[in-house]
Amino acid sequence: MHMNLILYDKLDTFKIIFRQIGGLQIILGFTMAIPLLVSLIYCEFYSALGFVLSGLICLITGFLLYKRFKSSFEPLNRHALIIAAFGWLIIATMGAIPYIIIAYITPIEVAQQFGTNGANYISSLYYFKNPLHALFDSMSGFTTTGLTMAVHEPSIGRGLLFYRHFTQLLGGAGFIVLTLSLISQSSSRVSFLLYNAESTGERLKSTIIETVRVIWKVYLGLTFFLFVFLVVGTFILLPQYSFADNIFDSINHAMAGMSTGGFSTLDDSIAEYHSQGMEILYLVPMIIGALSLPFYVKVIYNKQYSQIWKDIQTRSLIILFVLGSIILSFMLLLSGLVSEPFRIGVFQFVSALSTTGWQTCDVHIWDSASISFIVIFGMVIGGAFGATVGGVKIIRVLVLLKALFWRINNYFSSDYSIKVVKFNNTRLLPEEMNKEISSAATLVFIYLIFLGLGTIIGYYTAEQGFTMKDALFESASAQGTVGLSCGITNPEMSYGLEITYIIQMWMGRLEIIPVLVLFRTILLGTKPKVV
Amino acid sequence: MKIIIAGDGNVGFYLAKLLEKEFKDIILIDTQKEKLDHVEKNLGIATVLGDSTSYKVLKEAGVENADLLIAVTSNESTNITTCLIGKKLGAKFTIARINNTEYLVDKSTLDLHTLGIDELISPESLAAREVKYILKSPELTEIFNLYNKDLYMMGLRLSDNTPVVNKTIAESAHLLSDNSFMIVAVDRNGETMIPTGKLRFKKNDLLYFVSTEEGKDKVLEYAGKKPVQIKNILVIGGSRTGKYIALRLSKYYNIKLIEKDFEKCNYLAKLIPNVQIVCGDGADVKLLEEEKIKNYDAVISVTGNSETNIFTCLMAKDLGVNKTIAMVENIGLFDYSQKMGIDTLINKKMAAANFIFRHILKGRVLAQLYGVDAEIQEFIVKKDSKISHKPIKELNFPENAIISGVIRNDRGYITLGDFELMADDKVFVFSLPQSYVNVISFFK
Repeated sequence: MHMNLILYDKLDTFKIIFRQIGGLQIILGFTMAIPLLVSLIYCEFYSALGFVLSGLICLITGFLLYKRFKSSFEPLNRHALIIAAFGWLIIATMGAIPYIIIAYITPIEVAQQFGTNGANYISSLYYFKNPLHALFDSMSGFTTTGLTMAVHEPSIGRGLLFYRHFTQLLGGAGFIVLTLSLISQSSSRVSFLLYNAESTGERLKSTIIETVRVIWKVYLGLTFFLFVFLVVGTFILLPQYSFADNIFDSINHAMAGMSTGGFSTLDDSIAEYHSQGMEILYLVPMIIGALSLPFYVKVIYNKQYSQIWKDIQTRSLIILFVLGSIILSFMLLLSGLVSEPFRIGVFQFVSALSTTGWQTCDVHIWDSASISFIVIFGMVIGGAFGATVGGVKIIRVLVLLKALFWRINNYFSSDYSIKVVKFNNTRLLPEEMNKEISSAATLVFIYLIFLGLGTIIGYYTAEQGFTMKDALFESASAQGTVGLSCGITNPEMSYGLEITYIIQMWMGRLEIIPVLVLFRTILLGTKPKVV
Repeated sequence: MKIIIAGDGNVGFYLAKLLEKEFKDIILIDTQKEKLDHVEKNLGIATVLGDSTSYKVLKEAGVENADLLIAVTSNESTNITTCLIGKKLGAKFTIARINNTEYLVDKSTLDLHTLGIDELISPESLAAREVKYILKSPELTEIFNLYNKDLYMMGLRLSDNTPVVNKTIAESAHLLSDNSFMIVAVDRNGETMIPTGKLRFKKNDLLYFVSTEEGKDKVLEYAGKKPVQIKNILVIGGSRTGKYIALRLSKYYNIKLIEKDFEKCNYLAKLIPNVQIVCGDGADVKLLEEEKIKNYDAVISVTGNSETNIFTCLMAKDLGVNKTIAMVENIGLFDYSQKMGIDTLINKKMAAANFIFRHILKGRVLAQLYGVDAEIQEFIVKKDSKISHKPIKELNFPENAIISGVIRNDRGYITLGDFELMADDKVFVFSLPQSYVNVISFFK
């Protein structure tokens, strides 16, 4: 009992957190065995060596941290957010190691072989000699964003390519909850808060561990389904496409699609297929990735098929996908700047709303109206809460809309009546609704503030030729973990802006608050504020 | 017939009192000694002190040769356990009072019958059902079906502007010759009379009719009532009865429910769709005015306090509300509340008792009417009986009793003077207490 009475100071807090972080690093070290295997299959021995070394570094540092702080206390509820925020930062940092090591150890003759058809450019692998670029791609991977420093993706080697997509898969459903489901040692309340910070917080099974496991099962199952779907689809649509490449593309794109990550194995993303059929095919993984995982659990495990139309998020998303695609297409048509407005409009809107980030055109040439539309109604809203998407999530927008109508209607009912509101098939009391509103409003507000800050920094630090709309687009893309780029993101960008986007991706993935809690802990310690 | 009643609350006591008239062997079980003393003194019924879920107590009450075990304590779990044990120990038929209507609605999850509970009753739910029926025919004070949808018993109060007021029954006979309805009783100032040709109707008389489905409208026409449509309902009190009323009726009417307790309001607001819940005191005149009580077609007051219910309904009536229904637990108040002008009274324990009589005992005593000291009994005409094949008017039927309808070949018939009974007819008789015995011997 007296445990709870101890007021941990800052130092103790960090001891507790370091022990958890140690655990995360150990798991990360083990996961590097999988890209190692892929590197060996493709006979990329330098990459393989890179993964062995990185894996060992993760395991050893993780083990040392864990051992050093083993005697620290079990984490308390209030440590959950700090663990989430700090954990993600460390995972992204450790996850950058393979990029750096492989970039340094791979000889240039070997690297030049990576590109598909005797490329006439220097392998993009060498950009990762700069640790900041490596961190950028690692953060972009784990947060399922998809912005990249690798200008020509295929030229970094298949081992590293696979690793990038694999990090998106791990980050999508939540690396920390994965760790929890594998080694559950902390009390279930903390696990629940972690699950909450990183994922939906919806309890689907009686215990949190079972919930996390069922989420991961469904997640991996869907990824596998998408893999098969893409292999078969590609084979039918492009029969002349090499089957070995088809398999490699489909595995990676299934992982990037399900996690709404948006990395691609191809130099020019999905556009490289030069096929309208393929672009339609690739709408499917994006839409599937944008829907909430608990929704899939309900449909697949509990056979609640009615959820497909009854679940407010799924329903609204389907409507928004259709309407938004049509509107954006017409806006592009109106602007006259794009050659195939409907083909581009549909694909880009779905990519933006699902926060995937696969790109089929140069956004830089778009007009301001189209950019504003795709930013506001696509990237800022984002997919469903509980999916792997970024953005403020559509449920927040729906709550606030509902709140608006609720307020207006309340004006007409009597003072003493209980003003119940029906939202997503549940009846909420005023007290409960106000709670929902306040948390949604806080998040949306703070989200927009940081989006604005990122835009302003981008405006002043981007290279020549980029305007306010480009800065807004890129900032929304980073913070919404989308990954569409109008060109601001490239290896020559200023370090200040690169760091800004790294922070925006990190904050966007964790919905900002945990990161602010971490800052508070570092700057002001853990003492509660008394006024 | 041996009957054990577990639980000496409102319902238990009332049941004991009613059953005691018909069946001699009744035992009441309760855990409170003072309550049992009260019963022994007032009703002369045997009692057993103790918890009805105890083997010993049930055996002491003689459960092994009981024909009927009725568990009606206020605790649902106690009732269910009592019935389960009682059945195992030998009770032939068991009835448990429940609160959780899930058990009533969802019969597939758990087959309570094979477990040993033969019937479930929920007095609050039954009261809500009565309200539902009465709102369908708001001109009536009471309605229930005697037999399927073929024969109805209905109560109706005569108002000023009725053509039959100040006329005798004989004078209005031309309106009565139709074979679809008949008058079976008249209640005036708490005194019940079986009608004769000479009886002259007065204002505020409460008339009881038996009618077929087609006769329902003709009864209204006879009494000079225009059909009323109810749309907006104000329910006062969010206890269980109020909750069930709102749940059952929210599909058909616009309902506002007023409840005092804030927590209860929240609970109801979350539970019941399409019903507006207002938090406030149902006895607060200002609140009722603010909530525009006079705009409602019906006011149903079902708080736990009978006086509040009566008062609210009187006020609603005064403000011009068409239909008022009050839940009155104290039977002593019935007479006055009806006289003061409340349209319909409901009472949980009478609802429960009526249900038990009509559906479980299927015996001679069919129903108790609100505020009327009379009963409807049911008899079968025996083969070669001397009363068959003769017009009813020549039968020399006992005074203060009247044959009020017959079921023949699964159809209901109205029994005017020229009607002839036949063997196997099921006959309903409406009779005053003083002629119970004569009526029973008449059919023997």
